[in-house]
Formats: sequence, structure tokens, C-alpha cells
Amino acid sequence: MKSTLIIVAVIALLAIWFIASYNKLVRLNISADESFAQIEVQLKRRADLIPNLVETVKGYASHEKTTLDAVITARAKATSATGIADVAAADGQLTTALRGLLAVAESYPDLKASANFLSLQEELSTTENKVAFARQFYNDTIRSLNQAVKTFPSGLFAGIAKVSARAFYEIENAADRNVPNVKF
Amino acid sequence: MTQSSLDFRGLQSSNRLKTFGLLAGMGALVWLVVFAAMTYMGKSSAMIVPVAVGFALISVWGSYYFSDSLVITMTGAKIIEREDNPELFNLVEEVCIASGLKLPKVAIVQDNAPNAFATGRNPDHALIAFTTRILEVMDRDELQGVIAHEMSHVANRDTLVSAVAATTAGAIAILSDMLTRMMFFGGMGDRDNRENNQNPIAIVVSLVVLILAPIAALLLKSAISRKRESLADATAVAFTRNPAGLRKALEVLQADSTVVRQKSNAVAHIWIESPLDGKAVSKLFSTHPPLEERIAILRNMESNPLN
Repeated sequence: MKSTLIIVAVIALLAIWFIASYNKLVRLNISADESFAQIEVQLKRRADLIPNLVETVKGYASHEKTTLDAVITARAKATSATGIADVAAADGQLTTALRGLLAVAESYPDLKASANFLSLQEELSTTENKVAFARQFYNDTIRSLNQAVKTFPSGLFAGIAKVSARAFYEIENAADRNVPNVKF
Repeated sequence: MTQSSLDFRGLQSSNRLKTFGLLAGMGALVWLVVFAAMTYMGKSSAMIVPVAVGFALISVWGSYYFSDSLVITMTGAKIIEREDNPELFNLVEEVCIASGLKLPKVAIVQDNAPNAFATGRNPDHALIAFTTRILEVMDRDELQGVIAHEMSHVANRDTLVSAVAATTAGAIAILSDMLTRMMFFGGMGDRDNRENNQNPIAIVVSLVVLILAPIAALLLKSAISRKRESLADATAVAFTRNPAGLRKALEVLQADSTVVRQKSNAVAHIWIESPLDGKAVSKLFSTHPPLEERIAILRNMESNPLN
């Protein structure tokens, strides 16, 4: 009688442990999808702001053609990219191109003072922050997911839950890696 | 200092552990009071424990459940919409994306002191409020740090933790109060029993316990609140990865000596900077760690970017 009770208790505990580990993996996998969707939402917001920004800058600095074209090409690439690696690469290019455009804007006082540019600037900086935080949140989620998949014992259930380790969202961004160039 | 105490993940888990320890201390204190009461007055006095706990539960948990609307009334906060202050909403949205939390209600308190607070019984009913002054004196990065600190309170469910702490502290206060009254008015039935076989030292010790317990409970409650503030600072850095923003914000608060007008003790713990005058309240009873200490910890994180 007593031993059957112990066996039942052990089986129940094992079942609870199994369900908890399985659910944890599935939950992490879903939140990885959700946080990637959040990156895409923010990238789209940024892409939507760019035509307006380009028009505004053109009005004051139409001869900065190379910088403007770089932004336009990068935006076109970013809006057509699919898959994490491509989206991340296009995102990195657009981030660099936008920084270039804002640096150019620095030398046009009329542009900087225009009401249109000022309101765009707040929108752009908040969107840049949101993109950055969305990337960070995604990568944190991926870190927990990969940890759960690759470590024992939670990793035992990865196959059953059909969850596998995923790639981090890494942007190619020269500006983040190199020390800024000093020009004399 | 060891490495683990410098990064925000280590700080988060050590602060959580300390809160747990302090709450366990509260539990032990309740047990001690009950034990002292039984020693002093006999077994039948144990029946007032559920009465005291019941009183504390009703008074504290009502305020916990209605925390958002109650705090709005007590502080005079006005809920605002996106179009009232789009820049503030942009910042709040940024922190929500960084933390994965839902967008809270945002409110403004008309006040000349720079301060902010968060409340709400769970992340779905969260509310964060800012004084008009804090929005004037802080730049984008600093405000982002403040918002991250407040959203950390939401994420760490600090309204719940402080409600648990307040309930236990309240129960202990009611319990000790009832028991001391009973001592003066003759006590309950087990009197003969007690006079026959009780050790006089045990009786004196239990009397001292009953008198000191409410003070000890208050100290524990303040210590829990301080740990939650440190935890919120560490969590805020986990959200923004920018300790400098929050550090600069705390320096702005430090430089400003104005204090929130409404000085009610009851809601002191919810603000980012303690609204009570630092000199009037001793360190042991204060709800917040000293600003210098919080700034020093954030500076340490800045110079040791481990993550």
C-alpha cells in the first residue's frame, strides 16, 4: 500500500517536471517569434518615416545626392528583405546610412531649425531606440531559448517540443565596432 | 567588490534573495509574537491571531487591489493620453519594448518637486506617474532611466511585495496591541495554569518581545522597501543597458532639494526619491537607500560594462 503510494507520487512529480520543461521551451519559442515580429514592426515604422525625411532634407540640401541615395537604396533593400539574416543585414545598412544623413544635416542650420525636421528628429530618435530595444529583447529571448535547448535536463525535451536553437539578430555595423575616425 | 556584484544580473538575483530573506524574517517575527503570547497568557490567547491577521488582510489588501485608483486620489495624479505628451509616450513605449511589458497608464502630478512613481496590482493594471517638474528638468536619457526604474517596479511586482510586507507588519502591530491591552485588563482563562508552572524569566522575555515586535516589523518593512529600490535600479539597467541615464537622473534628484508637497507616510515608498526629509527619518526606517549609494552602484556598472 505504502510503496504504491510512493510510486504514484514519483510518477506524478516526473509528469509535472516533464510538462513544466516542455511548456518552458514552447513558451520561449513563441516569445522568440513575437519579439522578432516586434523588430519588424519597428523597422517598418522607420521605413515609413524615411520618404518624408528625405524630402525635407532635399529641400535644404539637394546636392547631398550620394548620402540621400544611400538612404533610399538601403530603405528599398530593408523593405524587401526576408529571413533573420537578410533583415538584420539590411537593418544595419539603413542604420549606418541614416546616421550619415543626420551627420550631413548638422551642417545646414536652416534645415536643422525647420519645424518639419525637428518633429521628424524626435520621431526618428524614438524609432531608432525602439528598433535597438526590440533587437536587444529578441537577443535576450534567444539567449534564454538557446540556453534551455542546449543544457541538461531541459534540452532533453527540445526534440519532442520541436524547438531548436536559433540565430541571434546581429547587424553589420561598422560604426559600432570601429573607433570613430578623427579628421584634421 | 567581486565581479558578480557589479553586473545587473547578479544584483537582481542578490536583491531578490535578500527580499525573500526579509519576508522570511517577517514570518519568523509573527511566529515569535504568537509564541510569546502563548507563554505569557496561555494557549487560549492563540485564537486572537486569526483576528489580527484578518484585520490586516482586509485593510492592506483592499488598498492593494485598488492601488491604481487609490494612489491617484491620494496624490492628485491626472491620467494623460498620447496626444497630451507624445514625447513622454515615445519614451514609455521604448522602455516597454525593452522590457516586454504592456504599455501602462501614464499620469501627471502637478508638483514642483521632480519625482515619479509606479503602482497597480499587476502589469496589466500598471500606472506610472510623473510630477510636472521632473518632465521639465530631465533630458531624454535621464527620463528613460526614470521610466525604466518605474517599469522595473511593475515587472518585479513591487506593489504585491510591499502589500505582503505591510500586511505582516500590520498584523504584528494589531496583535501586539491587543495582547498588551489584555495584559492590563486581566487576560484570559488560563491564568491559574500560568501562575503555577511558568518560568518568570520566560514571562519577562515574552513581554519584551510583545513590546518590541511592532518596531522590528517596521524595520523589516523598511528594509524590504530599500531592497526593492536597489532591485529596481538593477532591473532598469537590464532594460536600457544604460546605467549613465539613471545615474544622471538620480544626480538631478540629489541636486534638487524640493520635496513632494504631500508628505504622507502611507505613500512614501512608491516614489523614485523618498519624499520624506532625509534628516527627519533615520536610515533604518527609511524606505529608500541613500541616493549617494545608488549613484555609486550605477557608476560601478558604467565602468564595468560586463554585459
